[in-house]
Amino acid sequence: MSTTVIIPTPAKAPARPLLPRLLPYLLSLPALIVCIGILVPFFTAAWYSLQRYNLAMPLNREFVWFGQYLDMLTDPDFWATVRVSAVYAASTVGLELLLGLGIALLLRERTRFNNIVSVALLLPLMTAPAIASLMWKLMTNPNFGVLSWLVALFGVHDFRWASAPSSAMFTVVLVDIWVYTPFMMVLLLAGLRSLPQQPFEAARLDGVAGHFVFFRITLPMLAPYIVTATLFRMLDSMQQFDIVYAMTQGGPGDSLMLFQVRAYLDFFQYTNVGTSAALMIVLWALTYALSNVFIKQWLKLRERTHGAA
Amino acid sequence: MALHKLLRAAALTLVLLFFLFPIFWIVVMSFQTNEEILRLPPSLVFAPTLANYTALISGHLQTASGILDITFLHNLWNSILLSTCSVLLALVLGVPAAYAFARFRFRLGEDIAFTMLSFRFAPPLLVLLPLSLYFQDLGLNDTYIGLIWIYQLICLPLILWIVRGYFEDASPDIEYAYRIDGHSWWRAFTRIAIPLAGPGIAAAGLLSFIFAWNNFVFALILASADKQPVTVGALAFVTASGIQYGQIAAAIVLSILPTLALALYAQRWLVEGLSLGAVKG
Amino acid sequence: MTGLKVAAIHARFGRHEVLRGVDLAVAPGETLVLFGPSGAGKTVLLRAIAGLEPGALGQVVIDGQDVSARGPEARNIGMAFQNFALYPHMSARDNIASPLVARGLQADEIAARVAEIAKLLRIGHVLSHPPRALSNGQKQRTALARALVGRPRVLLLDDPLRNVDAKLRYEMRLELPRLLRESQAATLYVTQDYREAMALGDRVAVLRAGRIEQCDASETVYDRPATAAVARLFGDPPVNLLACRPVADPAGLRAEAAGFRLVLDASAEAAGQECLLGLRPETLSLAAAGPDAARLEVIATTPLHERLVVLLRAGDGTEIVASLLGAAPPPGAQVAVAADAAAALLFDAASGARIPARRVMAGKAA
Repeated sequence: MSTTVIIPTPAKAPARPLLPRLLPYLLSLPALIVCIGILVPFFTAAWYSLQRYNLAMPLNREFVWFGQYLDMLTDPDFWATVRVSAVYAASTVGLELLLGLGIALLLRERTRFNNIVSVALLLPLMTAPAIASLMWKLMTNPNFGVLSWLVALFGVHDFRWASAPSSAMFTVVLVDIWVYTPFMMVLLLAGLRSLPQQPFEAARLDGVAGHFVFFRITLPMLAPYIVTATLFRMLDSMQQFDIVYAMTQGGPGDSLMLFQVRAYLDFFQYTNVGTSAALMIVLWALTYALSNVFIKQWLKLRERTHGAA
Repeated sequence: MALHKLLRAAALTLVLLFFLFPIFWIVVMSFQTNEEILRLPPSLVFAPTLANYTALISGHLQTASGILDITFLHNLWNSILLSTCSVLLALVLGVPAAYAFARFRFRLGEDIAFTMLSFRFAPPLLVLLPLSLYFQDLGLNDTYIGLIWIYQLICLPLILWIVRGYFEDASPDIEYAYRIDGHSWWRAFTRIAIPLAGPGIAAAGLLSFIFAWNNFVFALILASADKQPVTVGALAFVTASGIQYGQIAAAIVLSILPTLALALYAQRWLVEGLSLGAVKG
Repeated sequence: MTGLKVAAIHARFGRHEVLRGVDLAVAPGETLVLFGPSGAGKTVLLRAIAGLEPGALGQVVIDGQDVSARGPEARNIGMAFQNFALYPHMSARDNIASPLVARGLQADEIAARVAEIAKLLRIGHVLSHPPRALSNGQKQRTALARALVGRPRVLLLDDPLRNVDAKLRYEMRLELPRLLRESQAATLYVTQDYREAMALGDRVAVLRAGRIEQCDASETVYDRPATAAVARLFGDPPVNLLACRPVADPAGLRAEAAGFRLVLDASAEAAGQECLLGLRPETLSLAAAGPDAARLEVIATTPLHERLVVLLRAGDGTEIVASLLGAAPPPGAQVAVAADAAAALLFDAASGARIPARRVMAGKAA
């Protein structure tokens, strides 16, 4: 029964037809071309960021290595952008998480009524953020806005919403919350409803107190969903443009100069390609780091829903 | 227990009020005349008028300083054209690629899939600013083709990752059985794989349509007035001085109506789409 | 030659070698059972033969034609999958018709052949149903009908009875041999169940760790397993393997283990070597106490079909399984158990190979 095993070298193997082996590459080639098409401008942006380059002064264009990045470190406008972006991202994501989690808990039972409510709550999320900004702009109009009228009823006269530096941030954060809280809600609701029921039943049988169940059972089991949804929103919120641009174009003053808004204005108003590109590269580096964390979390959740992927 | 229920009802009422009132109010405004809108306190008792909509559809808008010609319907048409074509292109590009990623383990596949995913989270302006210069050189500036191509940034990751999940969930044995029956690879792909992933492809298509429709920044940078979709067009409306508020509201209603209707229709798949296929609803 | 012949099939997934050189030949109308533990590579081998493993190396010859370079659609194979792999969006009729549609047959001929095979498999009444409306048994028959309807030269059946209930499995074991013989295809039948292998296979090939360890008539595999591993796999309850060091005896070898004392008709070369004594549970029986019977304590009993499986323990702690006919001794009882020396197996402990009988060695050298 002792047979000598001859392992044939691949060269001896009968030639397999080429097509089946090339198939996966052929199928993904079009997507690859689109990928490359998008990578080219990305590298161009990185290249511009190393140059002093203003469209209005083409003769002054020169290669300055990391000069613009160094200039940024001492530029108060840059730090204002960092601060405004951080405040915006932290307040929107934080409030949306709390609100979204609260609403998801309210709608947790799979009743017909709850399902209708959760679908209705998705409508703001399906509104284009730029259009949502316009809706709130109409509602906060000082002359006829229903919200301006409402706050006046409560004795707050002359509340100027997005047109005053002191309340502009509040206003755009409010719009962001209106648009994106449903995102948190719907992801956390899906998470809550997918949790195994046994721990909750066991806790009920044991008569465990409600807040204990929430902090010791619900929250830990929901954590992967919370982390994924939060990181997802954080990545979007750091890059917010539509809501702020449609509402105030970064004003009043530079009270709402988020990263992308400032880069947009640098480029189109001041034709300063170099500084605009450098600013975008900084934002990209921040989001890239965060998106790596996010993708790991996202993959874990994906594996859970698709079995071993 | 009763108190608990009461608190819950109160909380839900507040939540519904906050999230639905703005939409309700804009719809109400769109049926009001300028005088009714400007009247304080606001009232829900008024004679609804279609004047705002007829003005929008005819393209002649009454302003304080006379008649202004804004072809908002053209923006609406642009939105339909851009979103539809982008989704179709993304399906043609994305479905075969998603199939390749799901069925074959090859290095390039994972690389493309993750690059597309990371594009979804990269700041769009990073790509758009150099592109606005390139597009001028390539003659793509202010063309539908240029816009449809760049819209792939929104549509392709969504389609790749959702459809890939559906292909992965279907047993490859079913396709293998069909091949062994004597059918070519292509027939197995079109007669077995695609029909079985059909719901996923439909969901991904609907969702990417919604996201393409809602996009603002691509067209803001790369399109001039006659190629702009509603998101950018509506902004021009507000900034143009003296347009009647009712007409702005009507334009907003027309802009959000298609996506809201589609969302209600596709709500079963929204969770999956919003999480790029990571969570099922 | 006609039928199926495969030579030097190799397959690896990454670093893991799943198939390490498999050679097989199956004649038309013959059923070769591919038997082995899970993870042995049975399914991979079937898929390699069908052309579904692009990474597999080796040669596949069907009716004298080398099909190694052809796609699965051009090999004239019928295959039934473990999970049935029915097309969920087609009716049972369209599922069965698929191989005929692929050949471009006329609609009326397709209808006639589908009706014929459906009648044979007794699923004519559910042809219009989609797969989800079929019972597991009907699904399994539909999958078989689809594999058979094209009259393929080679049939690959991947554990087709695994996911059906016991009653249907029993019925199919009776029906399948005739069906397969009539199809005149060279059939490879994968199973993990040795009873199924005994019932269906003209021959049995035992696949273990990517190699064919033995390929013989099913009775031969049972009576004269090539190795201890094959003996352990092929039989239920599994064979008792007891360490022993046999000594030379005029009649062959004398082996003692766990209280059993047997004189075996085995080659004297193994005398004094570390060996494994293989006693099949069904060759043990209750006996009168004597010097050759082992005294064992009954630990537990459980009925299996008409027999009784008894777990016993020897004085030295060795556990022994016996499959007995007749009344059950109560747990805790001391019993005397005798082994049938003619049916006992002896294996070399180091290599696992069976030590052959003396007669064969003494007779004409093969």
